[in-house]
Amino acid sequence: MHSTLMFILIVLPFLAAIACAVVPVKQVRSAVVVVTGALLVVASLLLIGKVPFETSFTSMAGLPLASMTQLADFLLLGFVLFLGWKHKHLGIKILAGAQLVILFALEAFMMDHHAASMAFVADPLSLTLVLIISIVGSIICIHAIPYMDNHEHHLHLTISRQPRFFAWLVVLLGTMNALVLTNDLLAFYFFFELTTLCSYMLIGHDGTEEATNNSVRALYLGSMGGLALLLGAVFFQNMLGSLEIQEIIKLAPSAGYAMLPMALLCVAAFVKSAQAPFQSWLLGAMVAPTPTSALLHSSTMVKAGVYLVLRMAPGFVDTTLSTYVALFGAFTFLATALLAVSQSNAKRILAYSTVSNLGLIIACAGINTPAATAAALFLIIFHAVSKALLFLCVGTIEQRIESRDIEDMHGLFVRMPVTASLAVIGVLTMILPPFGMLMGKWMAIESAAANVPVIMMLALGSAITLLYWARWAGLLMSHPLQGGVTPEVQPKLTKYPLVALCGGAVLLSLLSPWIYSALIVPMIDMVNLANPQAMFEAPYVTSKGMLGADSGVFPVAPLFLVLIVGMFLGLRVLKNAQGAREASIYLAGAQSRTAQTPDSFVGPVNQPVKVANANYYLTRLLPEGKVTCWVNTAAVLLALLLVVGGL
Amino acid sequence: MMSILGFLLALVVGVFVAPILGGLITGLDRRITARIQSRLGPPILQPFYDVAKLLGKEKLLNNSWQAFCAYVYLVAAATSVVLFFMQSDLLLIFFVQAVGAVFLVIGAMSVPSPYSQIGAQRELIQVLTYEPLLVLVLAGIYVHTGTFKISGIYALEEPMLLKLPLLFLVLGYALTIKLRKSPFDISASAHAHQEIVRGVYTEFSGPYLAILEIAHFYEVILILGLVSLFWSTSFVGMLVLVALTYLAEILVDNVSSRMTWRWMVTSAWAVGLTLTLINLLSLTM
Repeated sequence: MHSTLMFILIVLPFLAAIACAVVPVKQVRSAVVVVTGALLVVASLLLIGKVPFETSFTSMAGLPLASMTQLADFLLLGFVLFLGWKHKHLGIKILAGAQLVILFALEAFMMDHHAASMAFVADPLSLTLVLIISIVGSIICIHAIPYMDNHEHHLHLTISRQPRFFAWLVVLLGTMNALVLTNDLLAFYFFFELTTLCSYMLIGHDGTEEATNNSVRALYLGSMGGLALLLGAVFFQNMLGSLEIQEIIKLAPSAGYAMLPMALLCVAAFVKSAQAPFQSWLLGAMVAPTPTSALLHSSTMVKAGVYLVLRMAPGFVDTTLSTYVALFGAFTFLATALLAVSQSNAKRILAYSTVSNLGLIIACAGINTPAATAAALFLIIFHAVSKALLFLCVGTIEQRIESRDIEDMHGLFVRMPVTASLAVIGVLTMILPPFGMLMGKWMAIESAAANVPVIMMLALGSAITLLYWARWAGLLMSHPLQGGVTPEVQPKLTKYPLVALCGGAVLLSLLSPWIYSALIVPMIDMVNLANPQAMFEAPYVTSKGMLGADSGVFPVAPLFLVLIVGMFLGLRVLKNAQGAREASIYLAGAQSRTAQTPDSFVGPVNQPVKVANANYYLTRLLPEGKVTCWVNTAAVLLALLLVVGGL
Repeated sequence: MMSILGFLLALVVGVFVAPILGGLITGLDRRITARIQSRLGPPILQPFYDVAKLLGKEKLLNNSWQAFCAYVYLVAAATSVVLFFMQSDLLLIFFVQAVGAVFLVIGAMSVPSPYSQIGAQRELIQVLTYEPLLVLVLAGIYVHTGTFKISGIYALEEPMLLKLPLLFLVLGYALTIKLRKSPFDISASAHAHQEIVRGVYTEFSGPYLAILEIAHFYEVILILGLVSLFWSTSFVGMLVLVALTYLAEILVDNVSSRMTWRWMVTSAWAVGLTLTLINLLSLTM
């Protein structure tokens, strides 16, 4: 049973990718994507009943698995080297070359290859990630089917490039599943590199100059992360004689020079999670078709980074490194939230918000208490769902209005009531109680309260987050009543994914006390098991749908009751309000009488002057270029401090 | 855990008594303000007359979502007050209160009138300004008491004000913004006819404006409740602290003129963060 599930979660996407790439028939490809998605969902759900377990495979279909991975690893690095040569990028050439040499040295001189098998560990943390990757990831892939048709129609392509696109999309799902399930740091490194390659392929998909440049940047920065990870692995092999992740966590020394490999792993994670100063690759990823950005941002790729930090976190409890990780995460949370304020491009807002939320998750991992770990896990889950919803909404909106500027979305509710409403709900689930994201933030703030620098950054960052989300939600609704709303027709494969994600964001929030007892308590127990000196206790107790502790209480179910009552009241009022008399907007008595629409002032010579509104972007206070420069400088210093400071 | 009786009491007091009290305090505020300005001022019950009159007016809307948003604002404000009387988690109460703030902004933004739009943007900046300060005050309370629950504060033996004097000042700064008092009355300009008319409230009228007024009554109680926590050990001390603080707010309101939002953000953060830092460090050292 275990091996069947592992096969579906990891190998099947690769087979599906081959099918997508080889069979040029659209119907077949769509069916393959839908069926693979469905199987992934089922397999990931079946995995719930199975954890925790360990399993290892020596061979697959008669081929030795470990040696195959080794070979693939060298081939992959060789390919990256080739790409560096093809794009004439010195940095990539150096990074890939260095990794080839180091990997060869590691494999040939430092490791003992007798018992070569590939070990997998499925525990609550990897299960959570597998569920997110398989369910949210599949939903995004399915939404991509009608999206890519429109996309190619818009680009007037004669030969469809969709086979290639969907192949890489599903490969990414399989790679991510393997990455979170493997217990071997070297295998982890291989899958880590493979996600970098996937992002390179997906970002560069459209083949424009901008897309190519940005994909090369993603490859370049990704290779930096790969190098850091590989160096960390070499140090660990040298010090501990083992590359088993669970073993490393158990044995990891907690002071002095020995912290270096852990710090290197953290740096690799920061690169993958696009933390400052590495955020540029994720912002560049925005040129790709929306399903790519949705997948990279919400359920895969960037989650690999925070997964790595969270996975390793029990290995550096109560160390200087942990303190610096918390500081670094909190700083990125605040700094990129500030950057998001100056943006009017919807995708860039989403991108900065992703980086910012990942910073918060990393801060939680650095605080490294059970409550903070719980916060991190909640944030990972709910961020994935809400962010996927928002990306797919923006993609759907963009194809209709041909703009991704939020200033062009004023009153979008009139033109696209369904998508606009879903987007507004998506925004609200990001920032307000009783939804999961806010609960995660609540836990994060409560567990950071005694850490003065971190709590100050979290408090500021959280307020800034509210600013850039709320104004977007408000603007979508901004329209006069006159004229009414045009009903919106969406293709089924567009509508169902959106509705499923929206329902998921709300329903999972309601279920959060149960998610807590089913996933997070067992995870903390696992940490105790792996790390006997940790002695963690479950931070909250759940009763009657409430999460409580001595330090605070979050009554999830009662708040949902209030929400339902409030919604009922609000919708009743809304219905009654349909009978209200329509008022034209207030224009201080200077309303134009000659204009066709009532939203114009009287201008010179009685000419109507149409009202124009725009958000405050505080660009004079926070010019993006300058702020980025300062943020990157500070982040580089912090990252250096993190690597050196632990020594 | 709380008994059923205690729960019901908190519910009744929170839902029904609080807005009445809030209205009375608003009436008193108007009277005192008038006296400071050498006017006679309206009767203490004037806020209730206003609300009653507004409730009887014709429903007039530009966008029906305004009505929805007004009611969500009301429910959020009432919920936060009930949670307060149930001695729940302060940080949670604060976040529930924020739901109201966000829906007020969305409601104002749902109408493309420049006055309400600018009001909404400025309201967001006000939220941006006071929110971190309040979160930090709550964090200070946690550091001092070991919990975010209000019940933990009532268990203290000496008033919190003595240990958190600077954080109390920060709270005062933040609450001046929340109470829409000058010099921070930037988004709704309660006084006279100004450049943004009534800002974030401009497009709400009749019964919907009444709902916003009632929600504001709840908020006044929540704010004064927060202030009262700083002298939790005696009832008289609580009353004196609340009265003095509110009088100070009225005085500041009357002697200062409205400033710009830039000044608000920079001054509030500079003063607030510095005081917070000093107070938090003195607690944790």
